[in-house]
Amino acid sequence: MATLNEKKTCSERMENFRRFVWNPETKLFMGRSLINWVWISLYYLAFYVVMTGLFALSIYSLMRTINPYEPDYQDQLKSPGVTLRPDVYGDRGLQIYYNVSDNKTWDGLVTTLHTFLTAYTPSAQHLNINCTNNTYFIQDTFDGPNKTKLSCKFTSDMLQNCSGITDPTFGFPEGKPCFIIKMNRIVKFFPGNGTAPRVNCTYVVRGEESHTLEVDYYPVNGTFNLHYFPYYGKKAQPSYSNPLVAVKFLNITRNTELKIVCKIIGAGITFDNVHDPYEGKVEFKLKIED
Amino acid sequence: MVKKRSDVYSVEIYGTKDLQKTEIEDEDEKHKDLKGNKKNKKTEELKKELDLDDHKLSVSDLEKKYGTSIDKGLSSARAAEVLARDGPNALTPPKATPEIVKFLKQMVGGFSILLWIGAVFSWISFAIQLVQKAESPFDNLYLGVVLALVVILTGIFAYYQEAKSTNIMASFSKMIPQQALVIRDAEKKELPADQLVVGDIVEIKGGDRIPADIRLISAQGCKVDNSSLTGESEPQPRSCDFTHENPLETRNIAFYSTTCVEGTATGIVINTGDRTIIGRIASLASGVGNEKTPIAIEIEHFVFLVAGVAVSVGVLFFIISVSMRYPILDSIIFLIGIIVANVPEGLLATVTVSLSLTAKRMAKKNCLVKNLEAVETLGSTSVICSDKTGTLTQNRMTVAHLWFDNQIYSADTSEDQTTQPFDQTSPSWTALSKIVTLCNRAEFRPGQENLPIMKRVVVGDASETALLKFSEVILGDVMDIRARNKKVAEIPFNSTNKFQLSIHETDDPSDKRFLLVMKGAPERILERCSTIMINGKEEPLDSEKAEAFQTAYMELGGMGERVLGFCHLYLPEKEFPDTYQFDTDSMNFPTSNLCFVGLLSMIDPPRSTVPDAVSKCRSAGIKVIMVTGDHPITAKAIAKSVGIISATSETVEDIAKRLNIPVEQVNRREATAAVVNGMELKDMNSEQLDEVLCNHSEIVFARTSPQQKLIIVEGCQRQGAVVAVTGDGVNDSPALKKADIGIAMGIAGSDAAKNAADMVLLDDNFASIVTGVEEGRLIFDNLKKTIAYTLTKNIAELCPFLIYIIASIPMPIGTITILFIDLGTDIIPSVALAYEKAESDIMNRRPRNKRKDRLVNEQLAVYSYLQIGIMQSVGAFVTYFTVYAEQGFLPSTLLGVRVNWESNVINDFEDSYGQQWTKYQRTYLQWTGYTAFFVSITIQQVADLIIRKTRRNSIFRQGLFRNKVIWVGIFSQIGIALILTYGLGHVTALNFTPLR
Repeated sequence: MATLNEKKTCSERMENFRRFVWNPETKLFMGRSLINWVWISLYYLAFYVVMTGLFALSIYSLMRTINPYEPDYQDQLKSPGVTLRPDVYGDRGLQIYYNVSDNKTWDGLVTTLHTFLTAYTPSAQHLNINCTNNTYFIQDTFDGPNKTKLSCKFTSDMLQNCSGITDPTFGFPEGKPCFIIKMNRIVKFFPGNGTAPRVNCTYVVRGEESHTLEVDYYPVNGTFNLHYFPYYGKKAQPSYSNPLVAVKFLNITRNTELKIVCKIIGAGITFDNVHDPYEGKVEFKLKIED
Repeated sequence: MVKKRSDVYSVEIYGTKDLQKTEIEDEDEKHKDLKGNKKNKKTEELKKELDLDDHKLSVSDLEKKYGTSIDKGLSSARAAEVLARDGPNALTPPKATPEIVKFLKQMVGGFSILLWIGAVFSWISFAIQLVQKAESPFDNLYLGVVLALVVILTGIFAYYQEAKSTNIMASFSKMIPQQALVIRDAEKKELPADQLVVGDIVEIKGGDRIPADIRLISAQGCKVDNSSLTGESEPQPRSCDFTHENPLETRNIAFYSTTCVEGTATGIVINTGDRTIIGRIASLASGVGNEKTPIAIEIEHFVFLVAGVAVSVGVLFFIISVSMRYPILDSIIFLIGIIVANVPEGLLATVTVSLSLTAKRMAKKNCLVKNLEAVETLGSTSVICSDKTGTLTQNRMTVAHLWFDNQIYSADTSEDQTTQPFDQTSPSWTALSKIVTLCNRAEFRPGQENLPIMKRVVVGDASETALLKFSEVILGDVMDIRARNKKVAEIPFNSTNKFQLSIHETDDPSDKRFLLVMKGAPERILERCSTIMINGKEEPLDSEKAEAFQTAYMELGGMGERVLGFCHLYLPEKEFPDTYQFDTDSMNFPTSNLCFVGLLSMIDPPRSTVPDAVSKCRSAGIKVIMVTGDHPITAKAIAKSVGIISATSETVEDIAKRLNIPVEQVNRREATAAVVNGMELKDMNSEQLDEVLCNHSEIVFARTSPQQKLIIVEGCQRQGAVVAVTGDGVNDSPALKKADIGIAMGIAGSDAAKNAADMVLLDDNFASIVTGVEEGRLIFDNLKKTIAYTLTKNIAELCPFLIYIIASIPMPIGTITILFIDLGTDIIPSVALAYEKAESDIMNRRPRNKRKDRLVNEQLAVYSYLQIGIMQSVGAFVTYFTVYAEQGFLPSTLLGVRVNWESNVINDFEDSYGQQWTKYQRTYLQWTGYTAFFVSITIQQVADLIIRKTRRNSIFRQGLFRNKVIWVGIFSQIGIALILTYGLGHVTALNFTPLR
């Protein structure tokens, strides 16, 4: 079979390219006449305008059909995630290491907690109502102002010793630090099936063995009161704030790294997803040095 | 090496007497040609080895030289020794590329390099991440492994496909081992021809193929057909006399692979295997490397384009992402993603499959494609230089016309005649048929009574074969008739007499007369006649009747037919009694004042499918040029009857004749047709040839030597044509190599021609070429469709990356998901497009211009990328946003969230409804997004598949259900998507999630 390729020198190629960009004989710019370019640009302009229009129309109708109060599907959020404050991440998840005698090592942690709790000051919570019922706070109507629903008040003083009010250092210098556990919000999620879910912290030595720790939970028993649930979404409850549980570790062995797991115990909350270390539980490493 | 099969038809003998002279000249020329073209060193070798002196030696010297004996032959031991020294008597096939090299070529060719680079980058980033102890370094390791696997698998697949098609060819080559009759240990033995060694004594007889180069030591009426070696179509007599210094010219050497037409001979093997003349020529021809095929160039062009786009977009966005302060490592991963998105991984495999499907389909239609890519080349053919004999014609002389009783009758010349329609009641016909039957030395080979007459093998020359078959068809058992009319004397045809004569007893027991029958050149026969038979009565041959004869003779001759005259004489019983001894040397019987009976004219008739095929070529814009060694008149007659010269067009000579002016005064541009003689061609320079090729749309080259074919091919290529050339002889090999697609004849073709060709026509039929052209065009169209289909989704795969980088949205589609589209759902549909039927105009448009009509041209790329691709992206993004919105992330929240979204330290990421997500929950949602995006592209690809079914026809005209494979493709696509999303949805490494 014979070759169809003629070898071209570099200069010939350049010449060809120049001729392609502007051919003075046929007056073609990049293979098209100027008017041709105008037409084709107009065509593409129109085409893309129409495409953009279609896209916009689709998104618009999507937005119109979406329920503004709750998402259509919640199959991806079956069990709430759990977060910890203060949150310092190392190579492998949360790692809180500090030295009791060196206040530089725990100043940051304390500040984080203070910052976090600013959302729970009485002034920040003034829009919310005081709730006393220990049952789900079910609202079928919009009782709040501007077609909203009411949210229950959670103020930092409910955390008592870990509120930062009585002890602004949250017990860090004493080696009895406070940690705050927060459960993620899920719209219309009823945790615990009538009984309030509670936090349970244990420490893990080599794998699965869990040992009880000497801890104080605030509020008592480390429960999330049921009147904070269900959550009706941002639009219905704009001032809603997550209930918190503070954990004060009373007797932490110094100078050893402890792997602590705080689980939320309650019906409907799972913590056995191997892929997700933060679903229904939070794991962290704690090391307090002298 | 292909062994030539014993011919189905008798060997063809052609042409006029003076052909021989020119052919010999041509032969010298050919040697010059070969010397001129090839590497000097090789030529020197050839020259040196041609200094063969065996033809000059006496028999006893030969015996001494080769240590053999004419009566006893070699001893087996000695033969084994020589065999061990010289190797088997077979031509070495052209050196094959080592398998491992072929395999590696597949591994690094095309897009593989890009993917390898991607894989290496992934591994590098894996290594870096591993060192940095990052969160999930193994993702990159997996990606690299997957990419490498993709390359290796597609490589293996392509290699397997290629090996399979090579095997088809190889199995074809191993047909029928040849046998030779050898004297060894004083015994006659049948040995496989490859066991022959120098010094062996072999016996050959008519119909055999010469098993090696042989110096004849005895011969009886031996003739060989050297056409496969020299292109001479006239059989050459062979004897044991040394007649010429040049070993190629001398009569006492017969060459390997030529055929013994008639007679018997015994000879000493003087050269075997590659040392034979033909072996040397074949090795010269195979020295010319195969060049790139048009489709290979197209695919290269395409790979270049796509790779160019991939790399430039990749690098552009690498720079953008670096300048947007993405970490270098992330930017590298984007780069990999962009490359993977841009490279159609499955496409090259698809192309290979499509081509081999077509090759298979063509093999069914008798076109055996040696080189997969030649399939398409055939489709872009714009000029076919076709042989006449055997390709356009049936390759057998057939009686076409008869003249007796002052009237011309036409005979049936079709391939499968069983009766003859003309009037057979006249007593003149009875007389004529008797002469035709008796004055004929040709015989059927025994043992083929069950075959149709036309397919039986005949021993004898072409004209006699024609006459034999003709009379067998009409009269029935010719052998029986001959047996009843016993032959008592015979003078065979020779070129001085130009007649053949035999004397028979009659089958009428009461009639004791002898019948003398004679046939030969009509004018010679007429000279010997004094009477002529009209309606069974002998009438004196006056000038009026002679005039009628002349008119008929001229008319038949003018149709390019070979005319024979027939006459007879009943010898008076008194002068020639029963016991009369006829002596053919002294001719003691009358050979003049005979009774003229009639004329028969023969032609090698066109194959019945050819005219249709030629007109198809014409409407397809393909110029058909006939190149033949035949006489111009015959060539022109055949050209006219098959439509190569159409009914209305005239040659310069025709115009001159019509207007009654000298040829020089005719305006050459008025003539659409031209018949160019080989002698004229020799004197032309290339400009003149170009002029002929340009100005005439219908060209016949007559009396050309196979070497001139090369000149013609080059001429056509100078016009920018894609030239297909048919050929069968060894010396056609250069032309076959030179042509864009060389087509060798499967039946008549020589080994060397088949080696040099890209395609082998198993039935030697021109119509098969046209089928091939149609298939070739179809595959080009279908490949275009496949590529358009495949390219479209690249944009839908690429856009996510670009928008991800620019708008910082969560990643819409993952690299592995892309691979699942490219190599999972899309493969079967794109192969299915190869099964698409031809569109209505496929044979009505001009052949593609190889410089302009690219496989992937601007329109196709722009249409796929900028129109359909964009539409797909829009569709896929709508799906993406819908999935996220329904899960809680409205489009407005998605923009710019990438950094937080991908952060491992944020486990309470808030969506539009105030819900909070952990990292893993987000990642899982992202995979759902991948899956949705994937499904969206898959569904849109189904629609794309349906729009790609046609390029010009409307979908309804083409029919939605005509191509069933498309539906298989669609269902497989949906099926694979379902399996991936629901079946494998829980395998995290694949990043698929079950969708609701």
